[in-house]
Amino acid sequence: METLRSAFDFSDFPRLDISIAGIIAIFLLVFPLFSSSAFAMATMIQFLMFSLYGMGWNTIGGYGGQVDLGKAQYVGIGAYTTAVLLIRWDIPFWFSMPLGICFAVVWSFIIGYPLFRLKGHYFAIATIATSLVLMDLFGVWEFVGASRGLEISPIKYHPPDFWRLIFKEDIYYYYVILCFFFIGILYVNGFRKSRLGFQLRSIKDNEDVARSLGINVHWAKIKTYAIATAFVSMVGSFHACYIKSIEPEDTMSLDISILIALMAMLGGAGSLWGPIIGAAVLIPLKSYLKEWLGAAAGLAGIDLVIYAMIIMLISALEPRGIWGIVEKRRRRKRQ
Amino acid sequence: MALLEVQHLTKNFGGLSANQDISFSVQKGELVGLIGPNGAGKTTLFNCISGLHPISSGSVVFDGKDITALKAHEIARRGLARTFQIYVASGDLNVEENVMVGCFMRTGSTTKAKDRARDILKKLNIGDLSNALVSELPVAAQKRVTMATALGSDPKLLLLDEVAAGLNPNEIEEIMINIRHIHDDLGITVMLIEHVMELVMNVSDRVMVLDYGLKIADGVPKCVAKDPNVIKAYLGERFVREHGKELA
Repeated sequence: METLRSAFDFSDFPRLDISIAGIIAIFLLVFPLFSSSAFAMATMIQFLMFSLYGMGWNTIGGYGGQVDLGKAQYVGIGAYTTAVLLIRWDIPFWFSMPLGICFAVVWSFIIGYPLFRLKGHYFAIATIATSLVLMDLFGVWEFVGASRGLEISPIKYHPPDFWRLIFKEDIYYYYVILCFFFIGILYVNGFRKSRLGFQLRSIKDNEDVARSLGINVHWAKIKTYAIATAFVSMVGSFHACYIKSIEPEDTMSLDISILIALMAMLGGAGSLWGPIIGAAVLIPLKSYLKEWLGAAAGLAGIDLVIYAMIIMLISALEPRGIWGIVEKRRRRKRQ
Repeated sequence: MALLEVQHLTKNFGGLSANQDISFSVQKGELVGLIGPNGAGKTTLFNCISGLHPISSGSVVFDGKDITALKAHEIARRGLARTFQIYVASGDLNVEENVMVGCFMRTGSTTKAKDRARDILKKLNIGDLSNALVSELPVAAQKRVTMATALGSDPKLLLLDEVAAGLNPNEIEEIMINIRHIHDDLGITVMLIEHVMELVMNVSDRVMVLDYGLKIADGVPKCVAKDPNVIKAYLGERFVREHGKELA
């Protein structure tokens, strides 16, 4: 009961923030009524998906300070679970999504247990490696279509199919992911004020101090890693139904892992609004770059160059991202 | 029975022996001072007792249970809390939130942890700092916050590592009031590492002295202060030779 109340309690934010968040929430709710552009709709869905990825990453990476660059493997696990179950056994999304989360969380324990023995850069590198290994495994695994991937053909179903999450119009997908988005915000809002949330922030500060306060540092990290994984896997399942065609390359590649982390870091790691702000900046940028690069074939890869530059700028100027700048200003004003 | 019983504790870092065959016990309700020149192995001893360093040999018994092989967080949960000499705070948590982390060891409820944190801060007379960031506070206040955080975990034994180092006389006075409150009013057994002699000699029931990893004295403050070995450790052999008669 207390956790539920805490999730809905935003009272520790200034009134200005709550008003802005409210206006944005209303905008998101009514957006499809005003926009008829398919490009805008697709970008908005991407924005909501990556906000959720970022929120998940933010629990372990932002509040816990463990830079995880292997989140894409869990996008893959979620997406493949949903796609395989739907194609082979006609199991609907609302069953396969939780099952995908279970698989992903089990995998996250297997990965997390040894990996959290590592610290800092070594941890980051190891997460990249595990993700890439999984991508290669899926690339040769015939059962899941190897490198050709899987295709969900909508003709077999009768859209709108809420049960299997197969729609013709993007507006349905939009509202489904918007629901997840709001639930995600409430969850993270509760999480940051929970015991685990506080313990994680203490671990980020100083692990020895955290230990001396009775915190099982290793276990706290593994638990939070599993939470982050659940978020990512959930959106991965959605991705499978929304895109309808998945390959190892576009669900589990390094770019996606980096983009997920970058989302949260640019917006402000360790803050509730950070990943959303980050996604709001990066996703339109990404969509634009894709359009632009589609025309100029010789420039493939320039998006990665731009992401790298953003990472360098953040670490040099304000490690706590855009939200860090806002908070710094506020603090200065108060003094 | 003693609350803390350390027997033949030895800690080696490679060829260096930071603690050699140290045995002592702390009775329930005692306030024990631990002094010694820089590099004597005081903080290492705290790290060994609180489980941050594995012990090379020897045993530590706390509250009737052998805690030698336990991990730091398990030891903390049994009621052995400590503070750190250098407190590194990234600035993410404010004072109240810091203390709440300590309180979360005994409760899963955020409301309860918050109430308890406020209560502790008030008792240590730093209730007005609740919303400040730890990293922006002066050293004296930071040290008191670390004490409050450790208190949050509701310990039986509190190890304080140089809480008065680098403070001015007024601030030392305030810290002394806090330590007395923790010991006298809250009934917590305290062991403290300190270089500020005025503080150690004033508050301690008993003082232990380490030098080069060895325990060289253990007794009531007055006797320890006159102990030739202790004077030698602090002031050197020549001083003792030249002033031996005056000291006796």
